[in-house]
Amino acid sequence: MSGGATSTDAPPPPPARRRSVWLAALLLVTAAVLLFSPLVGSIDIPPFRVLEIVLSGGGAFFNPCAGAGPVCGREVIAVWQGRVPEVLLAVVAGAALGISGGALQGIFRNPLADPYLLGISTGGTLGAAFVFVLNVGVTDADLVLPLLAFTGSVLTGLAILAVARGRYGSVETLLLTGVALNAFLSSILTIVLLYNPVGSIQVTFWLLGGLGGASWTRDGIAFGGILVAGSLIAIYGREVNLLQLGNDVAQSAGVDARAVRTRILLLASLATAVAVAFTGVIGFVGLAAPHVVRRVAGSDYRIVLPGAAVVGAAFLVAARDGSYVFSYLAVGGGTVLPIGIFTSLAGAPFFFLLLFRRRRLTTMGAS
Amino acid sequence: MSLNREPSPLAPGPKGVSLAVFAVALLVVAGIAVAGTAVYYATRTTAPAGSLTVTDDLGRTVTVPRDPARVVVLSPSIMDSMYRLGLRSHVVGVDCYAPAFGGLTADYSSDQIALWNLSQSMCVQIAPTLNAEALLNDSAQLVLASTIVSVADVEEISTTYGIPVVMLQPPTLSGIEIDVTLLGTIFGVGTAASQLNAELQVGLASAASLQANLTDNGTPFPTVLVTYSTDENGYWTFGPGTFGESLIELASATSISANSTLPYPELAGETVLIANPDYLVYGTGFGLNLTSYQSAPFWSDLSATQDGHAIGLDSNFLTEPDPTMILEGLPALIAVFHPSGST
Repeated sequence: MSGGATSTDAPPPPPARRRSVWLAALLLVTAAVLLFSPLVGSIDIPPFRVLEIVLSGGGAFFNPCAGAGPVCGREVIAVWQGRVPEVLLAVVAGAALGISGGALQGIFRNPLADPYLLGISTGGTLGAAFVFVLNVGVTDADLVLPLLAFTGSVLTGLAILAVARGRYGSVETLLLTGVALNAFLSSILTIVLLYNPVGSIQVTFWLLGGLGGASWTRDGIAFGGILVAGSLIAIYGREVNLLQLGNDVAQSAGVDARAVRTRILLLASLATAVAVAFTGVIGFVGLAAPHVVRRVAGSDYRIVLPGAAVVGAAFLVAARDGSYVFSYLAVGGGTVLPIGIFTSLAGAPFFFLLLFRRRRLTTMGAS
Repeated sequence: MSLNREPSPLAPGPKGVSLAVFAVALLVVAGIAVAGTAVYYATRTTAPAGSLTVTDDLGRTVTVPRDPARVVVLSPSIMDSMYRLGLRSHVVGVDCYAPAFGGLTADYSSDQIALWNLSQSMCVQIAPTLNAEALLNDSAQLVLASTIVSVADVEEISTTYGIPVVMLQPPTLSGIEIDVTLLGTIFGVGTAASQLNAELQVGLASAASLQANLTDNGTPFPTVLVTYSTDENGYWTFGPGTFGESLIELASATSISANSTLPYPELAGETVLIANPDYLVYGTGFGLNLTSYQSAPFWSDLSATQDGHAIGLDSNFLTEPDPTMILEGLPALIAVFHPSGST
């Protein structure tokens, strides 16, 4: 097996050389976005000062404030304890959502599947909501939160899987099940919040999505979770390729389709849960990232899965920067625009583009 | 041949008579509707005896009974004025959430419930939805509401149930005095209203005097952040044009959100960190306390929290536009920002 399995919805794979150029460009863009990102925040800190602070490791290697005024000490805290962890959390969460989206689209052979649309993110949010609303484990929120978010995400994923594996598990049924589950879980979430107006203040943060909860500790926990889940998902690239050819072909090639789907769904739920637990519900990253990679590098899931992680990371970091710029242009800066709002602002047009493009391809195929 | 054959849908109907009956019935219904509407508007625009017509804060002209004995109050800020004017005995119902969602305690602090002698039996549910029928149970003659009740709900109360609704939502601090005067007029307690307004003017004048002293002495105003809620992104606070911001100005302090373009902005953590206000006031009550705020970004890095200048204050003092805001909230803020007095 060459690993070049082609989804029926995907464009033909580009030539290998062009593919390499695009992949290199993607990595360069990602690196550039990462380097640029700490310069962007809610207040103006001189770019050279930011670079000095980052290069000094927050003052660990040398004093970036030598000869500077007293405000520099606060700028060090703002950059090293605020912006850098925030950017790193965007990288980790974006990678998690990107690879989860790629994996879900692969195992369901559905280009519209992503953790947000299928309700997996909402399930995670519901789990996280219980921490605040029921005051469960608030003191150990860094650990309990991901655990409950994971439970919520996995249960949602299993419910979808049960439908997808059933007699009526067509693509349409799957999508509608996800949409219905999303609505159902959102309603439960609303009821839970109404019962506890105080808890709802914190949960609103999860519903809108944000990177404000970033810290080195949380980044570390999230990174650990994503490293494990993401690596395991990426290992299944060949199997996901075979699943694109249908269960029978996959079975004949020695792939236990049912077992692979279950494992990947659980891993994707874990990755989503880690992202949701620390950033809340952030839509469209999981949908958009795999599509970008497929457009650039073809439909080989051995490339799509890690590629979606890279693009997801770049997308979320760029969205973070964009939300600050948007906030500055809209209200003059100093304030916060929850990042989930901005990813949806940018992601919704992409979604429309995707729909219209699919329609055009379908029309062309029919003529 | 079938005996139960249904008539064809294209077959002609019963002749002439039914059409005439239908036309007459239509005319009768239309006549009743027109007459009913005319009577409704005629009675609505004519003030009955023992009533007076007032203009509320939204510019609505409302005909209300004089000194109504059974009043439903749908806002804690209005309840505050009623209590201070000695009109507590007129109040038969107050706003609340559904019992499962907190009941009275969702909108009134435990201190207010005790002071005003409120009970769950007075509950008129406004959230998640308005229970307008409760107003009928209370035989309410007048409803006093603020904009926490939607326009649609006001319409339902006044049009469907025929109970006049006066909206009291002062746009500025001086509007509080106007509302006190209006209540004095409706309930015939003009003297009490004048006395209360005099107290309010003394409170405002005292704050103005402090401000003048500080300005004359060249004493800089402290920079402050007054927050009523936080989350992991930052601090929710008051922007220009809000009561919170007006209070801060009157208390001779400069809010770090004074230049915001939003009325209720959420300042980013790093914005607060770099602004580093001299004082930080956080709203308490309704489940919020110091612990709730300590998880806000950079909380422990702020000079105010390190120097003991982070002070909790009853949220009602900061958010409810009522006499208590001026008589208790303003002095409390001044005491925080200027602990040594005016010098």
